[in-house]
Amino acid sequence: MQFNVEAGEGYTEVAGTGRLNMVAAPRLREVVAETVAAGNTRIVVNLADTEFMDSSGLGALIGCLKLARQAGGDLRIACVPAQVLMVLQLTGMDRVLTPHPSVAGAFSGD
Amino acid sequence: MTDVLASNAVRLPATPEAVDAVHGQLERLWEVADFVPALDRMAFETAVVEAASNAVRHAVAASGAVLEIGVEATVTRRRLEARICEYGAVVPDLDAAALAGGDPGRDPAHGAGAPDAGEHVPESGRGLALIRALVTTLRFERRDGNNIWTLSRDSPASG
Repeated sequence: MQFNVEAGEGYTEVAGTGRLNMVAAPRLREVVAETVAAGNTRIVVNLADTEFMDSSGLGALIGCLKLARQAGGDLRIACVPAQVLMVLQLTGMDRVLTPHPSVAGAFSGD
Repeated sequence: MTDVLASNAVRLPATPEAVDAVHGQLERLWEVADFVPALDRMAFETAVVEAASNAVRHAVAASGAVLEIGVEATVTRRRLEARICEYGAVVPDLDAAALAGGDPGRDPAHGAGAPDAGEHVPESGRGLALIRALVTTLRFERRDGNNIWTLSRDSPASG
């Protein structure tokens, strides 16, 4: 899985391409930890090209959410594909990680 | 009707990379079984990858054995089935509560009244509950010194 970090207007976008499984999950944690350590604590994870996520990937997202919040920021998810949405809904985690339709809109209204 | 319409198998050392191989295996399966509805493919693949990940994460090699995982996937007219084998593994410490299943969204540390309390949400422990939510049957057996998880999902639209 590839991760791409890019600065947006008032947030930092982390885009993941590929499968967010037990191989990729630790790398997502690293990428977000580095981003937060650099002072960018408002993070939008763009999942448009994340073709698959399992409970390992979900656990990494939750860990990253905690990390961002502990640093005074937040983590939001955007452009969620059907399989990822299914996992979020079946685990009830869509209540914690609310899917946003667009990256730019994830922090709008704050 | 139990005619096998498509099937394949992989057997690999029990490392995280084996999970990527299982994804590839299922992709090849769908190339043959292209009639399986997208929703069933998605649910089945998620369940099989969860089960394979569980095997990689939790299986413990028996003394002197090399731990391997095998996945056999089969498509019949009405059913998708996978056997996930932990070769050379000791008998697992089965989590009876997790096997009993229930609502994977149920989270004792996270009441419905506090939907935004992300800092109290556990990061792991959802795998088996997720599998149960996605399949019709889930079975465990110990055979010839190996652990075998069999899961199936009814897919009545198949064929």
